Amino acid sequence: MATLPIRASSIGAADTGARRRIRARLPAAFALLPTALIVLVVYIGCMIWTVRLSFTSSTLLPKFDWVGMAQYNRLFLNDRFLTSAENIVIFGVLFISGCLIIGFLMAVFIDQNVRGEGLFRTVFLYPYSMSFVVTGVAWQWFLNPGLGLQKLVRDMGFESFTFDWLVNQKMAIYTIVIAGLWHGAGLTMAILLAGLRGVDADLWKAAKVDGIPTWRVYTSVILPLLRPMVITATVLLATGVVKLYDLVVAMTLGGPGIATEVPAKFVMDHLFERNNIALGTAAATIMLITVVIVLAPWVYARYVRPQGRPA
Amino acid sequence: MTAAIEPQGRRPRRLTAGRIGVYMFLVTAALFFLLPLWIMVMTSLKPMEEIRLGNILSLPAAMTFDAWSKAWSSACTGLECNGISVGFWNSVRILIPSVILSIIAGAINGYALSFWRVKGANVLFGVLLLGAFIPYQVFLYPLVRIFSLTGIYNSLLCIVLVHVIFGLPTMTLLFRNYYAGLPIELFKAARIDGGGFWSIFLRVILPMSTPILVVATILQVTGIWNDFIFGLTFAGRENLPMTVQLNNIVHSTQGERAYNVDMAATMLAALVPLVIYFVSGRWFVRGIAAGAVKG
Amino acid sequence: MSLKTRVSAYTLSIALVWSSGAFAQQMKAEVLHWWTSAGESAAVRVFADQFTKSGGTWVDNAIAGGVNARAAGVNRIVGGNPPTMTQFNTGKQFDELVDADLLRDLDAQAKAGKWSEIMPKLIVDAVTREGKVYAVPVNIHGQNWMFYNTKVFADAGVEPPKTFPELLQAGEKLKAKGIIPLALGGQPTWERNLFNAVLVGHGGPDLFRKINGARDQSAAKSPQFKEVVEIYGKMRGLVDQGSPGRNWNDAASLVITGKAGMHFNGDWAKGEFIAAGQTAGKEYGCALVGASGGKLIIGGDVFVFPATKDKGQLATQDKLVEVLLDPTTQLEFNKKKGSIPVRMDVDVSSMDACAQKSSAVLKDSANQVEAQELISTPNFTGAMQDAITQYWNNPNMTADTFIEKVSAAMRDAS
Repeated sequence: MATLPIRASSIGAADTGARRRIRARLPAAFALLPTALIVLVVYIGCMIWTVRLSFTSSTLLPKFDWVGMAQYNRLFLNDRFLTSAENIVIFGVLFISGCLIIGFLMAVFIDQNVRGEGLFRTVFLYPYSMSFVVTGVAWQWFLNPGLGLQKLVRDMGFESFTFDWLVNQKMAIYTIVIAGLWHGAGLTMAILLAGLRGVDADLWKAAKVDGIPTWRVYTSVILPLLRPMVITATVLLATGVVKLYDLVVAMTLGGPGIATEVPAKFVMDHLFERNNIALGTAAATIMLITVVIVLAPWVYARYVRPQGRPA
Repeated sequence: MTAAIEPQGRRPRRLTAGRIGVYMFLVTAALFFLLPLWIMVMTSLKPMEEIRLGNILSLPAAMTFDAWSKAWSSACTGLECNGISVGFWNSVRILIPSVILSIIAGAINGYALSFWRVKGANVLFGVLLLGAFIPYQVFLYPLVRIFSLTGIYNSLLCIVLVHVIFGLPTMTLLFRNYYAGLPIELFKAARIDGGGFWSIFLRVILPMSTPILVVATILQVTGIWNDFIFGLTFAGRENLPMTVQLNNIVHSTQGERAYNVDMAATMLAALVPLVIYFVSGRWFVRGIAAGAVKG
Repeated sequence: MSLKTRVSAYTLSIALVWSSGAFAQQMKAEVLHWWTSAGESAAVRVFADQFTKSGGTWVDNAIAGGVNARAAGVNRIVGGNPPTMTQFNTGKQFDELVDADLLRDLDAQAKAGKWSEIMPKLIVDAVTREGKVYAVPVNIHGQNWMFYNTKVFADAGVEPPKTFPELLQAGEKLKAKGIIPLALGGQPTWERNLFNAVLVGHGGPDLFRKINGARDQSAAKSPQFKEVVEIYGKMRGLVDQGSPGRNWNDAASLVITGKAGMHFNGDWAKGEFIAAGQTAGKEYGCALVGASGGKLIIGGDVFVFPATKDKGQLATQDKLVEVLLDPTTQLEFNKKKGSIPVRMDVDVSSMDACAQKSSAVLKDSANQVEAQELISTPNFTGAMQDAITQYWNNPNMTADTFIEKVSAAMRDAS
């Protein structure tokens, strides 16, 4: 936690010191003012609007009647919504941990003074630049048993080779994870690499003098230092998980059946395609509440309670 | 700037087992990452008759660059058939102010939040973070109403503002957490020297922010360049970004599809972020932060 | 002339100049639609050219994907900045815009143009709300065509099936020859489209209407419906393993290249055959499967005109209605779009074999069946689609479980 230098001022000067402190902080408060306005009007305003609509019978256009919990009752009887909830947990856990592990490894390996660093970095990062509408088609073809990997291996003579995850209801969600890792690991690498490059060079020298093996330096010294960047990456990936939509639409459209449906797709389909704003906003509200329940303790402990610098 | 690069560990003269391992890992990973690109490039170089046969991984029997020129300048996107080039400058005009403003906003927020104690600031940040988890699409309708009330709906200003608003949570998070890793002593010293809010930000903090500025640029350039739904909803017909044309080419419910043109158009549309990635790598070098610390 | 009168005369002349200028300018029509592929683009050009010829300026605003385009249109209308006309599918998608008085009532134009005499009744009904017309239908798409590769059928010695039980048998024969009997784009929309083809073909139009329109629980429990569900279930065995997730274009390609025998789709799928250089009635055929020669499920596209008080815009809208329904324009547009003219009084002898077949079938109104989106809310259609895709993709799900899901959807969906 921060201790500002003015702390040291004597008791006699405490009064003027406090006033000076406030005056010094005034520009900081002003700088945050636009954000505060936006948070109030856009974020909080839209959240309230969303929650309010979930208690109505709105269809194509919002209307402000009151139907109580009717939409929520429908929602929890809807097997597609329940499957979506289950899928997002599977995807979320595998995607975040996968991106962090692969991203960290790639960052560390690129950090080994390799030739063609720029090339490797761009190769790992390029998927992030491309619209999923079409890269999804490329993945779909590659994973399709009749066109891609399975056919390739069988044509090489391994007749019994089977890789049908994309069309298999139980496994299809994992193909979404694979494509997700392909898309997101590069960004994680970039963030962690930025962190690695920010580490004080003296630390390395000291570690080398002590004869600590490189991998130990990475795991015991560097990784803890990277904590803020790991948190940043995790939060970014997590927002991607909650908003997961394009990837599913491009690869499976929620299929086979409803095997790869996700909550954001449920919301979008109901808001725009099915003219059912009320059920869509009810689903969005549940998503919001879940995020709050999962994140609130962490946000509180890490950012709200300690008035000052987070670790 | 290159002088600041300080190689880690010894410069290996011979290929040791460890070095081979490093390259094996990187090359294997690169192959995995390049696989879909291979499919896309091959498809874009084939005529449709060949694509219909379904040999997605094979080299084109009759290579043609038709699809690329078509995607850029003559594919149909509605009544007009001028490819994706139409929206290119619109995208640029949206991109530049949106990226710059959202990064500035994020950096100032991050700086104010991690070095200065402002009452309620952390609650503000908490709410902002939660906001990052809501699917954008839920916001569309109320935002349309808000913007049409203020009279700036369907303008360049409107779309830039939308990008800045939705960039706030991630940008603020990025800078805040990066600054949290910087040594506090620097800030204290600057305060003792009598530095104020802005002068410390400009003279001390900003010069140390290069790596995170690169990451922020990558994030925002990609996000804003590839945005479709905001551009469509808020930019107005005169300012529609390139992704609208891209979408018109690759996305069709009932129309026939030319996959070669789809693939070429997607790769062309991604060129701007790709160039940014490659160029920004120059600043992905070690020692900048450390160098600045020692001043 | 006193100063006052001079001033007012001046103002008047300014106003006149301004308004005539505005009039010329406002024959400018901004049109929002989702026709973006090469074939669709050629079709929309027919409208645009015709409108330009009659003195207008067509400002094209194309947004691919019906969902995106409709959302954009609704946002523009609600945001108070509507285009001159905007596209919907024939059906219930724009109901609430009518309720909120946001659309222009086109009753006068419909009466003057005698729409009820020249268009199929169910199409006119689909654009009528409480006795008034609110949209201009521009085409008719048949949704349940079976496209087949003539050579594949001839080589296998199989006749194109006339009924669904026959289709199952034909499918087995094709399979024995190593051909994929049925190419399906394994996405929920196309799975539902196939289900509707079986429902109308085997169950008949009445059952189709009771299930999709009236949400009749007893119809859902009827043995007749169960038979439909079972036949649809058996058809799962006719598709290849790679079907789930596939785009319909890739499914059509399988028929074009002779890897598959049949493909169910709307007549827009002709676009893919035409792009591959094939001709209807030669390399590929189209047929309706079902008892008594088959019924045709019809839907299509309409344009709605956002309400406005601006005289210039009103005149422009009038002109657009005229252009859209002009007989020659109708013929040319629909040739390119793959649909058939919405006016039954247009001579279709210059159209392709499949379009002529459509037109002939529709001459008898007993053969016309409204598409699901004409009689069902988008929400109920979606709920049915969720049930259908689960049944289709899960071979272990019994017909009874599926019927339970249908019955629940009828009860719960708004």
